[in-house]
Amino acid sequence: MNGTFDAEGVRRDALAAIAAACDLAELEAAKAAVVGRRGTLTAAQRSLGALPEDERRRTGAAVNAVRAAVAQAEAARRAELEDERDRVVLAQEAIDVTLPPRTPPRGALHPINETMDAMLDILVGLGYRVVTGPEVESDWYNFDALNTPVDHPARTLKDSIYVRSLVDVPPRADGTTGILLRTETSPVQARTMLAQPPPVYVVIPGRVYRQDTPDATHLPMFHQIEGLAVDTDLSFTDLRGTLAELARALLGPETGLRFRPHYFPFTEPSAELDAWHSGRWMELLGSGMVHPNVLRTCGYDPEQVQGFAFGMGVERMAMVRHGIGDLRLFVENDLRFLSAFA
Amino acid sequence: MRVPLSWLHEFVDPGLSAEGLADVLTAGGLEVEAVERPTGGARGVTVVEVRSAAPVPGSDKLTLVQAFDGEREWEIVCGARNYQVGDKVPAALPGAVLPGPDPTRPVEIGRRKLMGIVSNGMLASARELGIGDDHRGIWILDRDAPIGADLTEWLDLDDAVLDIDVTPDRGYALSILGVARDVAALTGAELRVPETLAPDGDPGVPVVIDDAERCRRFDARRITGVRVGPSPAWLQRRLAAAGMRPISNIVDATNYAMLETGNPIHAYDVALLAGPRIEVRTASPGETLRTLDGVERELDSDDLVIADADGPVGLAGVMGGAGTEINDGTTDVLLEVANFSAATVLRTARRHGLHTEGSRRWERMVPPSSAPVAATVAAGLITRHAGGAVVGGTDHYPGRREPEAVRLRPARARSLLGLDLDTGAQQAALEAIGCTVNEGAAGELAVVPPAYRPDLLLEVDLYEEIVRIHGYGRVPETVPSSGAAGGRSPRDVARRAVRRALAGAGWTEVMPFPFVADADLAVLGLDAGDPRRTTVALVNPLSKEESVLRTTLLPGLLRAVRHNANRQTTDLAIFETGPAFLPPTPEEPGADGGPTGVVLPAEPLMLALAAAGAFEPARHDRPPRPVDLYDLLGAVEVVRRSVGGRTLEARPTDEPPYHPGRAARVLLDGVDVGVVGELHPRVVAAYEVPARTLAGELRLDRIVAEGVRHPVAAAPSPLPGLRFDVAVLVDEGVPAADVEAAVRAGAGDGLTELTLFDVFRGPQLGEGRKSLAYALRLDDPERQLSDVDEAAAIEAVARSVAARVGGRLRR
Repeated sequence: MNGTFDAEGVRRDALAAIAAACDLAELEAAKAAVVGRRGTLTAAQRSLGALPEDERRRTGAAVNAVRAAVAQAEAARRAELEDERDRVVLAQEAIDVTLPPRTPPRGALHPINETMDAMLDILVGLGYRVVTGPEVESDWYNFDALNTPVDHPARTLKDSIYVRSLVDVPPRADGTTGILLRTETSPVQARTMLAQPPPVYVVIPGRVYRQDTPDATHLPMFHQIEGLAVDTDLSFTDLRGTLAELARALLGPETGLRFRPHYFPFTEPSAELDAWHSGRWMELLGSGMVHPNVLRTCGYDPEQVQGFAFGMGVERMAMVRHGIGDLRLFVENDLRFLSAFA
Repeated sequence: MRVPLSWLHEFVDPGLSAEGLADVLTAGGLEVEAVERPTGGARGVTVVEVRSAAPVPGSDKLTLVQAFDGEREWEIVCGARNYQVGDKVPAALPGAVLPGPDPTRPVEIGRRKLMGIVSNGMLASARELGIGDDHRGIWILDRDAPIGADLTEWLDLDDAVLDIDVTPDRGYALSILGVARDVAALTGAELRVPETLAPDGDPGVPVVIDDAERCRRFDARRITGVRVGPSPAWLQRRLAAAGMRPISNIVDATNYAMLETGNPIHAYDVALLAGPRIEVRTASPGETLRTLDGVERELDSDDLVIADADGPVGLAGVMGGAGTEINDGTTDVLLEVANFSAATVLRTARRHGLHTEGSRRWERMVPPSSAPVAATVAAGLITRHAGGAVVGGTDHYPGRREPEAVRLRPARARSLLGLDLDTGAQQAALEAIGCTVNEGAAGELAVVPPAYRPDLLLEVDLYEEIVRIHGYGRVPETVPSSGAAGGRSPRDVARRAVRRALAGAGWTEVMPFPFVADADLAVLGLDAGDPRRTTVALVNPLSKEESVLRTTLLPGLLRAVRHNANRQTTDLAIFETGPAFLPPTPEEPGADGGPTGVVLPAEPLMLALAAAGAFEPARHDRPPRPVDLYDLLGAVEVVRRSVGGRTLEARPTDEPPYHPGRAARVLLDGVDVGVVGELHPRVVAAYEVPARTLAGELRLDRIVAEGVRHPVAAAPSPLPGLRFDVAVLVDEGVPAADVEAAVRAGAGDGLTELTLFDVFRGPQLGEGRKSLAYALRLDDPERQLSDVDEAAAIEAVARSVAARVGGRLRR
């Protein structure tokens, strides 16, 4: 280097270049011209070693002062330029946030199964165990074990769908065969009691079948949930309380309920529970204290144990939950309907 | 049972509105489904007398009637001619309102011009008044109808009718008197029961009963000197309100007495009875009977019949015979007020497909005690309205039984009902419904139910009556504890997990009926020997197309695909879980059929899937992606994850109903669970589903057999690990799974991720060659992996693919 380090000149030039930089690249270049490998300040620094002691100290201090000033100016200008860039460049990158979201392919669970699960959850919460059984049943489990009179209309071909015998047994005079598509989930009550000693607290979901042509209010196949509780001291008040708890959990805590006498061959006393819905009473479920004949047939001593059973249709509850007016929608499998549940 | 309120009030009047009474009855076990009022909206209809009738000039149908309403005469043009001068008829004078064809829009009657003559309203038929079906002419009222009276007031047409849904155990409520008894029991109102007259004197028609079990009682009463004609208006109206068609004063009297007392009655024209004598017996082989409906019926030897000296004249409890029917010339009547057993009537009614008001009551048990009650009512009505006199009667009662007491243990009733009802309260409730209660041993009660309650047989029947009279609405609510945690079985939990995972992965759950036809299985291309071709058949299917139970879920799913495709929903992915039904085998037995030895089919739980069109529909930024086999295998992979399965293996398979080169048998943790694939084009054509429809069916029972297995997770290495790629060049025919296995084996235990990210074919690779590119990740928790490790791993992979699949790495 010739002569002394022109600190003031370097500073002036550098600050001018920094101030003149129009974008981050020019700023980078201006900075490099001073403090880069070939920068004026770098050269000055490199030559310090050749200077005498006191001049070296003086010049070194000057170099440092310039470096600090440059760094400060550069940072300030950089901030300005980055703000500028954000304002301009990122604005150009804007996209339309109202375009359709990207989702995985759309699937749905069937509303009947979902409703059934919701009903099961409530009863599982009350301590019931979920059990299931076959859909093709013997008439012993479906009728006899449940105290159904021999001449009951439900046993006829008009009401129930019978299955041809799987072994070489001719049909009876009335066309029935002793084997049928179960008309209720109740045969599983008998199966459960025959398989285990009391106490029993079970809930039985499943499909059941009737000889019905599909229309808005009938289907040949539909779903039921039944509950069975048998213990040493269960009473009619326990039945009513359990039903009310279930109904309110399904329809809301303020739901109006009506408990009234009814008839079922497998319970005595029997009761039906209605819920006030859409301005009228809606039959919600049938129930009663398990008939002593049923307990006896299933190997329980009606003098030792007592209990209750109840059953309700899943379709009706699903109709209420989803505002559906025609049962056939559930089995037409039209995706325009089912995708509402996605 | 339809109960007109005015009729009920003859026996009990609790001072309640129709709606209030409906609530009481419903709460008491007689559910009132509707409260109806029979006027149908007719108002201001006047009773008038026909003063004269003359043809309207220029019309061969219309008549001009001068009708007197007590104050003045009105000119009314009328189309019917069934009346005579002096008849009392209903007139809707201007201002009156008739129901009209649409019950929600009553019609106000005004003046109108017919053939140039002003008609002041109209004369009305019963149907036009909305109180019956009779539209054969103007309704001719009773001679004693008061001229000028408001018809609805005079006939009590504002009388409400309670429509009660009677449960099978409460046959007594199929009568006005039975309902009245319950009203009295439920409200405490006084019950007025009319006097019953015992038959007296020889009717001159001997009655022989062959079977005292099936015919326990036969009260026969003979009335001679009757004149057959229409019943009085009030009686006709009551019958109509109760749902029965008025016929004649004799038949109406029997029906009225049945409705009132619950005991069906049949009337014979004695002049037509051979003998005359009556025998109650079963039909003999070959005997026939033409019933009142005109049908000639071959009788079964199990049918109980009423016969005269020549043969059957009635099907006991079901329908009388046409040959001895009451007719316009009948003067001599025999009333059959019998008691038939429920079972015999039920069998005969069912056998002949003949269900009548009478058979409906017998089937629900009519007590023998009601026979003389009904006979008294019917005979009284006949003599009052048809003239004549009861000349004699006999009451045969071979099936008389002493009433049996039912034991009631008040403590047990309290326990079962959960109600703190002392013995006195229980006794009072039972006495309210007519029981006789005596003290038995050890604090027990001996309860004799009233004769009209044959349904009360067991102690629990009495419990129901006690709580019914106490009030179901007053039963407190308590919620018992099962004393154990509730829950689903591991299989049910796993099934639910599978369904939820599939729905989350884009599959929609459907619910077809499980009914198919054998032909549906044949067109799947299944061999005759395939177990899915052996079906479980229905005895009484809904249709021929639904005559057997499904052995596979595929037909139902494919029908759903077609249903949607026909409705322009062509992009779809659907699934179903549910049982298939297969004849049982030793390996695959059905459930136990119970003590009668019935053999039940096997019901393996299946999962089936079907998809067509685009799996990912078109978006503005992406074309649609057609569904292919890998979407179905993806679904199987989702299933594997949802149950915590460890491995999934797909093997090519060539079997119906699939495309021979595009189907895979899948093994979950080494267990064969089923097949997924593209459908064979022939199956696509047969089921009329979109081309390239895919489907699959898995044994869900095997998949969920162990429930959801909880994954076992290892702690990840604390060190960053190593990522690198390899590209393997192999012959086209080498399955990707083999290449992957070779890479995996070569990379060793440190391999934590392996992803196939590219499959490439090109001229530079040579004919019949392909390149599979994998991304690998190696982790070692003990030390930092380096370039040296990477190089070593690549060498090991190269050796492995060379040895196992004849491939080499592209470098």
